[in-house]
Amino acid sequence: MLRIFRMAAILAVFCIVSAGLLSYVYLFTKPKIDLFAKINFNNSLKEVLAEADRFNAKKSDSNLVYEGVKQDKIIGYAVPVSIRGYSGKIQMMIGIDMAGKVTGVKIIEQKETPGLGQNILKPNFLDQFINKSTADPIAPKKDIDAVAGATISSRAVCDSVREALGLVHKINLEEKGKQ
Amino acid sequence: MNLWKDFNRGIIPENPVLRLMIGLCPVLAVSNNAINALGMSVAVAFVLIGSNLVVALVRKQVPDQIRIPIFIIIISTFVTICDYIMQAYYPDLYKALGVFVPLIVVNCIILGRAEAFAYKNPVLNSVLDGAGMSLGFALALGSIGVIRELLGAGSVFGIQLFNATIAATIMILPPGAFITIGFLMAGLNKLENKVQ
Repeated sequence: MLRIFRMAAILAVFCIVSAGLLSYVYLFTKPKIDLFAKINFNNSLKEVLAEADRFNAKKSDSNLVYEGVKQDKIIGYAVPVSIRGYSGKIQMMIGIDMAGKVTGVKIIEQKETPGLGQNILKPNFLDQFINKSTADPIAPKKDIDAVAGATISSRAVCDSVREALGLVHKINLEEKGKQ
Repeated sequence: MNLWKDFNRGIIPENPVLRLMIGLCPVLAVSNNAINALGMSVAVAFVLIGSNLVVALVRKQVPDQIRIPIFIIIISTFVTICDYIMQAYYPDLYKALGVFVPLIVVNCIILGRAEAFAYKNPVLNSVLDGAGMSLGFALALGSIGVIRELLGAGSVFGIQLFNATIAATIMILPPGAFITIGFLMAGLNKLENKVQ
């Protein structure tokens, strides 16, 4: 009987020391980890809408978009979109100007297959989306050359761009309705 | 002399990857380029040396019946520390290694060395054993990484050596890992036969 309590006590000591050590490391590294995530996110805003000086977060229904502002005038929107890719989520930022045209697509996070799906990160794939609007089909085999061997990843990016365009289109209509 | 033997063991005679063939999961997954392979090796070395050190330190206090849960607590503590530090200071590497950093916790090299060596040996020997095994792991993973990146993407450590379009993409996909490991094992065996 005593032996069981002794073992439990030893195990407990190990757990407590481990938990204490980990919470210290966590507190120590947390600010840095958050900082990198934020820098990454902010950089992606600037990359897709290079003209804007600053960004204001704006809620439209349940979606968060960022208004790109230049000299007190809204010049476009940056829309964060998250979609299921071939393996895990693909997180993207899509920039759209006031004419409803795509100004840039940036992939913030993805876990696609190296060598195949990860080629969606390459500029020669992403640059195809620039200047597309709701009038375009934006689909592989139509107006977009899919990445070879990665149809699902390519389609996920196309779907996201279309989703972002639709969202901005809706916001623009609402704004016009107000005026 | 004994210390040297403990260190040396992991490098060639009992190389964890090419000889014991344990811990292959991260080897197959992150050896698609040399930088990932190097990052993974450093992470494994940190965890392996650390866990060997602590296991050897506390081995007299740990009752036989609960040694495995205690090893796992020690190992997972080191893995989580490594995970946080990598995330905070090397975010790019962390992104590339992805889920394989937390998965070091189930890497059988580490639990294997805790059980087979550190639990029965003094601290200094255990640390040297951990260092030797880590070096053996790093050498194996590194050579697989360099070979796969060179043949599959035409570059080494991210430096483009020839046009990637003529490279064999299969080499940076999973089959390339198996093929490379197979050839390396065969090469090592051949070398050893010659020496003997």
